[in-house]
Amino acid sequence: MYGLNGTLSLASEALNAESGALAVTNNNITNVNTAGYSREIVNLSASALTGSGGGIQGNGVSYAGYTSVRDQVLQIAIQQKTADSGSLDAQSTSWTQIEAGFSSTTSGVGASISQLFSSLSSLSTAPTDAASRQSAFAAAGGVVSAFHQAASTLGSARTQADSNITGIVANINQLTAQIATLDLQLASSKAPGQDGGSVEDQRDQLTTQLAALTGVTSTTTDTTPSLSTTGGTPLVIGGTAFSLQVTKGSDGNTHILDAQGTDITASLTGGSLAGALTVRDTGIPQISAGLDTLATQFAAAMNAAQVQGFDGAGNTGTAMFTLPASGSAAAGLSLALTDASGLALSSDGSAGSSGNLANLLAVQTNALPAGQTPTDTYAGLVQSIGNASQQVSTALTASSAALTQLTTQRASASGVSIDEETTNLLRFQQAYTAAAKVVSVVNDLYSTLMNMGVGTP
Amino acid sequence: MRVNPDVYAGVNASIEQSEESLQTAMNQLSSGKRVAVPSDDPLAFSNNVQSLAQSAAIDTYTRNTNAVVAQAQLADASLSSVVTSLTQAVSLGAEGGNGTLTSTQRSSLAQQVQGLLASVVSQANTTSNGVALFAGTSGTVTAFVADPASSTGYTYKGNSASNQAQVGPALSTNVSVPGDQIFTSTSANVLGALQSMVTALQSGSSDDIASATVAVSSAIAHVDQVRAVYGSTVNQLTTEGDYLSQETVTLTSQQASLVDVDTATAITNLTQAQTAQSAILAMAAKILPSSLLNYLQN
Repeated sequence: MYGLNGTLSLASEALNAESGALAVTNNNITNVNTAGYSREIVNLSASALTGSGGGIQGNGVSYAGYTSVRDQVLQIAIQQKTADSGSLDAQSTSWTQIEAGFSSTTSGVGASISQLFSSLSSLSTAPTDAASRQSAFAAAGGVVSAFHQAASTLGSARTQADSNITGIVANINQLTAQIATLDLQLASSKAPGQDGGSVEDQRDQLTTQLAALTGVTSTTTDTTPSLSTTGGTPLVIGGTAFSLQVTKGSDGNTHILDAQGTDITASLTGGSLAGALTVRDTGIPQISAGLDTLATQFAAAMNAAQVQGFDGAGNTGTAMFTLPASGSAAAGLSLALTDASGLALSSDGSAGSSGNLANLLAVQTNALPAGQTPTDTYAGLVQSIGNASQQVSTALTASSAALTQLTTQRASASGVSIDEETTNLLRFQQAYTAAAKVVSVVNDLYSTLMNMGVGTP
Repeated sequence: MRVNPDVYAGVNASIEQSEESLQTAMNQLSSGKRVAVPSDDPLAFSNNVQSLAQSAAIDTYTRNTNAVVAQAQLADASLSSVVTSLTQAVSLGAEGGNGTLTSTQRSSLAQQVQGLLASVVSQANTTSNGVALFAGTSGTVTAFVADPASSTGYTYKGNSASNQAQVGPALSTNVSVPGDQIFTSTSANVLGALQSMVTALQSGSSDDIASATVAVSSAIAHVDQVRAVYGSTVNQLTTEGDYLSQETVTLTSQQASLVDVDTATAITNLTQAQTAQSAILAMAAKILPSSLLNYLQN
C-alpha cells in the first residue's frame, strides 16, 4: 500500500525515465546527419510488482538505457558490396583512361597502318617520285609512333595502377589502426553481448570504408572482434592492428606483404586494391601482349616483303622496322630505314620498277601468323578493350545499384527519421508533463493534509 | 516495414542520374556520334575500324585508277600523234615511189621523213612527272637515244617490264606498255620502218620505197593495236572508278550506321531527359522542405 511518499517516488521515477527518453530522442536528432549513425531507442520497463495477493501493485517505470537499432547481417552485406564496387570502380577508372587512347578513328595503330599502305600503293604508278616516296617513308614512321603511343597509353595506365597501390595500403593501415583503437574502447566500456552504441557505429563505418579499399571478413571469437582480409590475413585482432607493407618486387611491380613479411598480393580480393591489381596483372598485360604480337608480326611481315625487292639505289631491300631484342615490341619498335630511298619497291633492281609493291601490299590483306590481317587484329584488340571497359562499367552500375538498395535497407532500419523523433519528442513531453502533474497533485494533497484540523478562523 | 527516412540521398541520386542522361543526349547530339569510345559499343567500334581501313584502301584504289587513266590518256595522245606522223610518212613514201622525181626531190622527201622520225622519237620519249612513259620500269628519263651504230639510228634504253597498279581489292592493271613493244617491236618496228623509208628515199630504189611504205603501214596498224590496249585500260578503269565510288558510298553509310547517332532518336532522348529532369527537380522542390515540424509550427 502506497502512501503519498510512494506515489511521489513513482512520479519522480517517471520524470527520470521520460527525461532519459527525451535525452535519447535528442541524441537521435543531433545525429540525424551523422554518417553510419544507428538510431537509438529508449528502453523503458515497468518495475517489478510489489505486494501479494489482492494487494499487488505496480511499481512504476525504470529507465534501462537505450539500444542502437542495427542489422549485423545487412552490415556485412554492405561491406561485401562496397568491396565489389571499390574493385570495379578502380578497374573502370583505368579502362576509361585506356580506351580514350584507342578511341581516335583518324590516328592510332589501325589508321596509321592504313595510311602506310595507302601511300605505298600510290607509289605503284610513280615509284621514282621523290615526294611520294617521302610520304610513304613518313607513313612508316607514323606506324612506329602509333605503336609507341598505344604502348605508352597502356604502360601509363599500368604504372598508375601500380603506384595507386602504395597509397591504398597506407589508407588501409590508417583505418585498421583507428578500428583497433575503437576495439580497445569497446572492450573497456561495454559488457559482453551488449551493444556498443555510437562507438560500434563508428567501427562499422570505418570497416565499410576499409572494405572499399580491400575485401574484409569480420569475426568474433570469445567476444574478441577481429578483422581479416578475405584471403585470411589478419588486420585487427583484439585491439591490435597489423599493418600491411609494400615492396618493389624483382618484376618491377609493387607487392603487398603482411605484418610478417609474407607476400599476400595474390590472395587479395575486393576493394580498390584488388581492382588495381586486376588491371595491372591481368587486364592490361592481355592487351599489351596482343599489341606486342601485332607489332612483332607486322614488322616481320613488312621486313620479309622488303628483302624480296630492291631499294632506290638498286640494292637488295633491307628491313623496314627494327624490333627490340627484349621488352615490349610495341614500345621498342623503331624504323630501320634511314631515308625514303630505302623503300624496296623495285622487283628487278631498276629504279622505275614498283613490282615489289605487290609483296609489300600483300601484308595488308594477308593474315599474320596470329590468324588475322593487321587491321583486323587491331580491330579485335580495340574490341577487347571496349569489351573489358563495358563489362566493368556494367558490373559497376549493377553493383552500385545493389549497394544503394542495401544502404536504403540499412537506412530504413537504422536511419533517424525527424518526423518520428518529433512525434517521440511530443510523446515524452506529454508523459513528462503528466508525471510532473502527479507531483503537483501530491503536493496539493500534502497541503490538504497539512492543513487538516486547522480550522478556519 | 519502416521506410527509409532519408529522402535527400535518393533525391540527390535521381537528380544525378537525370543529369547524366541529359549530358549523354547532349553529347551525342553535339558530336553526332553514338559510339565515341570503344566501350560505347565494342563490336560497332571494332567494325568501324575495319570499315575505315576499307575506305582508306578504296580511296587509294581510286587515286591509283585516276593516275593510271591520266598516264594512259597521255600515252594515247602521244601515240595518236605518232600515227599522224606515220600516215604522213606513208603519203611521202607514195610520193617518192613516183619514178619521175629527181634525186634532189627524193632527198628532200627523205629529209621530211627524217623529220617525222625525229618527231616520233620525241613522242616515244614523252615523260610524265620526270619519268619516261615508254621506258618500261627502267626509270630512265630518255627511252630512245640516238645511236649511229644501230640499224634504226636509235637504241632503246628502257626495259621490257611493266609496273602494276592495284586498282581494286583483287584487281591490278598494267601502268604502261614498254617502249620496245611499241616502237622497236620485232613484228612491226616503227622506228626501223621510218629509217628504212629514209634510206630507200635516199637510194631512190622504187622497190625499196614500196617495201618501206608497206612496213610503215603495218607500223601504223601496230601502233593502233597498242592504242586499243590503252583504250580498253581506260574503259576498264572507268568502270572500276564507278564501282569504287559506289563502294565508298556503301562504306560511308556503313560507318554512319555503326557509330553515328540517329538525329531523331537523339533529339527524342534529349527531350525525354529534359522532361525527366524537370519532373525530378519539381518533385525535389515539393518534398524536400516538408516535415512534421512545418505543420506543428502553426
